Amino acid sequence: MIMEEKFDIAVIGAGPAGSMAAWSAAAAGRNVCLLERNNKPGFPVRCGEGIGIRSLTEHSDARPEWIKREITCSAMISPNGTKVNITDIDKSTVLDRERMDGDLAQDAVKAGAQLFVTSPVIEVTRIDGGEYQCRCPQRTIISKIVIIADGVESRVARDLGWSTRLASDDIESCAFTRVTSPLIDADCCIFYVGSSVAPGGYAWIFPRGIGEANVGLGILGTRCTAGKPKELLLQFINRELPGGCIGTLHCGGVPVTRYIRPLVRHGAMLVGDAARQVNCISGAGIHYSLFAGKTAGKVAADAIGAEGVNYSSLTNYEKLWKKRYGKQQERSFALKDFVTHHTDDAFLNRIAATLTKKKSRKIKYLTVFLSTFSRHPMLLFKAFKLFG
Amino acid sequence: MPLKIDKKVCDRCGTCISVCPCNALLLTDELSVIRDQCTQCGTCVAICPVGALEIEKL
Repeated sequence: MIMEEKFDIAVIGAGPAGSMAAWSAAAAGRNVCLLERNNKPGFPVRCGEGIGIRSLTEHSDARPEWIKREITCSAMISPNGTKVNITDIDKSTVLDRERMDGDLAQDAVKAGAQLFVTSPVIEVTRIDGGEYQCRCPQRTIISKIVIIADGVESRVARDLGWSTRLASDDIESCAFTRVTSPLIDADCCIFYVGSSVAPGGYAWIFPRGIGEANVGLGILGTRCTAGKPKELLLQFINRELPGGCIGTLHCGGVPVTRYIRPLVRHGAMLVGDAARQVNCISGAGIHYSLFAGKTAGKVAADAIGAEGVNYSSLTNYEKLWKKRYGKQQERSFALKDFVTHHTDDAFLNRIAATLTKKKSRKIKYLTVFLSTFSRHPMLLFKAFKLFG
Repeated sequence: MPLKIDKKVCDRCGTCISVCPCNALLLTDELSVIRDQCTQCGTCVAICPVGALEIEKL
């Protein structure tokens, strides 16, 4: 006998976007459920866990326990091995995502949301009267509004008419693990670029503490073949951290495309990786997800009144997203497109060689290949004029 | 020539699902293929970070 349960709002997926949405909707007094496929939120971690401290604290009630390591410097290694130190980026941290995701889901529960783990949503349908039916193996949920946060696969949205399929040049195929090695620089996040290291992407070493780091790499889908990310990652670790002890290897996809439009269809809202809310240059998405989830949850809660649901007001979420991050995300896509089509190893080496001769404040140009650049698109064209 | 999933290798990350043009892959407690919908195009095979998928040659 499959139970049928009714809620105001159903949230699918208990990652940062989903848990924030469930928390903010429940905190606003709505009857909310949070459906998680795995048996606990935040495991396994599919993330490099790097984030700017300001982004983290702006959008969440960040706990000190979430921060594994505060980072004092970053560096890029060019294809020929030139190291460029970046000193002028925002202060960064490496997170404990397992802890953070667990806490965010618990915050939602404390605010009154009901968390169902081991509850993969097989299908979502819109039923008579405009309500949504989420079908899980164990239960069926009926809700007025559904917030979809099912991550990179974004399968559930397809049931409701969205086309969320990613083209091969709009996804990075990634493999990552934890490595313990005395060779790890515990204070520095290092990015490696180049076609032999990570074609169409980058490799990273993000320290979690003394002698321990998240190590991973992403390859652009068009340049990926079966198992290549795993293979290149193991080669990378043997080269950069020889003798290092390699933990469990996990993998995942990072969408690098424009955020999906519309973000709202009738009573369904898309948030986080499922909405492709990821910076296309850096692959960073936690801050976007926290903001999108919190905003969508609040807007959804406000749309439900005594006389019913004001569905048209849900589009406020899309407006708020667009204003805060949408344009920035859009620019990161334009840059990614440009970078993937117009740069090669020789170009990256040339930039690195020039940057090592510059004063550190000039190293803003480097962020073309990292994250902050997306806020200053004109710098890329300046960079081309300078180095081209 | 059906699509074969090596369940010991699969990490259940869902990357294959995001690129599947036919919506033929489903992830619950494990990854499965919906045979009627799969056209054996191989897009998922190429994108898999750990090489858990292959089109079986008969």
